[in-house]
Parts: sequence; C-alpha cells; structure tokens
Amino acid sequence: MKFDIKTITEGEESVIIRYKEPNPAVNRIIGILRNEGNKLWGRSDEESICIDLDEILYLESVDDKVFVYTPDKVLRIDGSLNSFLSETGDESFFRCSKSIIINVNRVVSLKSLSSNRIDATMEGGEHIIISRRYASEFRRLLKGDR
Amino acid sequence: MKKDNKLTLWERYLTKEIGIEFKACLYFFAILFFYCVYRIINGSFDADIIHMTEMIFTCYIIGYIQVYLFDNFDEADRLGVKEYTGMAVCTILYCLVSYFGGWFGKKLMVTLIMAAYILITYFCVFLIYKSKRTIDDKKLNEELRLFQTEHKKQ
Repeated sequence: MKFDIKTITEGEESVIIRYKEPNPAVNRIIGILRNEGNKLWGRSDEESICIDLDEILYLESVDDKVFVYTPDKVLRIDGSLNSFLSETGDESFFRCSKSIIINVNRVVSLKSLSSNRIDATMEGGEHIIISRRYASEFRRLLKGDR
Repeated sequence: MKKDNKLTLWERYLTKEIGIEFKACLYFFAILFFYCVYRIINGSFDADIIHMTEMIFTCYIIGYIQVYLFDNFDEADRLGVKEYTGMAVCTILYCLVSYFGGWFGKKLMVTLIMAAYILITYFCVFLIYKSKRTIDDKKLNEELRLFQTEHKKQ
C-alpha cells in the first residue's frame, strides 16, 4: 500500500484513504480514525464484521489461523495471538496456553486443578485450561502484581 | 518490551524436584512414625539407623516413581483406575523393602498392617490436597471478581 505524508502549517488536518475494496488493514485504519480503539475487524463467511473487544470470550490459534469466539459469532482475524496482544495492549486479555488467549472479564469461574493448572469456565460454558506454565502469571495478573 | 514470566526448563525441573523432596519427607515421616510405634510396642526405645537410611532412600525413589510413572496420583483431581494402581504399586514396593530390609522383623502381619497404613496415608494426602484446592478455588474466584470490577469497561 502506498502512502503520502504531508506536513501542513495552516488549515484543517485531514486524512484521505483510497481503496479498491475494503480489507482488514483499511478497516483497521478507519477504525483508528473513528476512534474505534476497542473494535476488532474480522471475517465471518466472506463478510467483514466489526466487534467490540469486550464481546470476545477467547481467541484460538489453529494451524496459524486465529479465530475469535464471541457468544454468538466465530471470526477469523489476521495476524497472530502475539500481535493481537501487543496491538490491543489490554490487560484483560491473557495468554493462557500456546494457542489460546482468554478475556478475563468474560470468565465466570475458576477452578484450581492438580499440577498447578487452572480451569477457567467462560460465559458460554466452555472450559479452558490455563496450563501450569502460565498459571503463576495468571495468579499475578489477578493480584495486580504483573 | 514485556518481561517473559514463563518458567524455563530448569525452573520446571527444579519445581518437580522440590515436589519429590517434599513427598520423600512426608512419607518418610509417616513411615518413621509407624516404625517408632512398632518399636515402642515391642519394648525397644531406639531406632535402627540403617532402617532409617533405607526408609529415606525408599521414600525418595518411590517419590520419583509416583511423579514420573504414576502422574502424581496423591495430588490427582479424582481417584480413578490409574491412581488406584499407583497407590497399590507404591504400597507393594514399600512393603517389599520393609519386609526384606527387616524393618519389622520380617513379620508378615506387621507388614500387612503397614500396607493398610500407607494406603490410608495416601488417601489422607489426597484429601488434604483436595481441600487445599477447594480453598484455592475460593481465593481465585474472589480475586477474579476484584479484577473484573476494576477492569470492566463502561
């Protein structure tokens, strides 16, 4: 994608976006300009959908594809779990295993398991295991020590 | 740049090793108590240092078997076939060593009583870990509610 940046000394600041077809990168830029920091664009059955970050229950990476699960939708997004975490910078999203990120605000209950693992029950009733490798960090997050 | 808080291979190994050390101490203490009671009942007020050394080594080796072969059955979430098998195998091992080591004068009846005692100990340890996790559940859920109250967006 080509882009020009011009510094102006007077007049109103403006941004012009030219695209042939909407795509995730363009949608993301539009989202930023519309101050949609809490929104996420993804694809579901050939159409692009914008959802609130708060709606997300969890994200799962399967074969290098990242899927976002909400109570009623499953979206596919570009990038990786790491890029999602660094882009959102939201503490409510926690990496609980190699392939899953959960939205801690959407956890209904937690259960302590053997070998220092934790079973997180999500609002949709799904059980997600926080592996022992990430459990200590999760406990620190809840305590606000992270 | 965020600090990587994940455990390294060495730290994970060390955690497991400390767990085995702890297990060895716990079961050594339990067996030593049984041994002391047996000695007192038989009118002896001293313990054989060789027997105690054997007990420590046995507890340590069986600790490894418990953790690496039977997946830490005394800390399991529930008792199933695998856990019962682990308990039975480890109890038999303790009994064999105690019998051939002469901890109880090679008396079969005392060895059988010790087998029952070890099984009860395993069951009690399982219950202790279970209640520890129940308390931990409450603490975790309290902290979760607090986190959610602080982080929920309008």
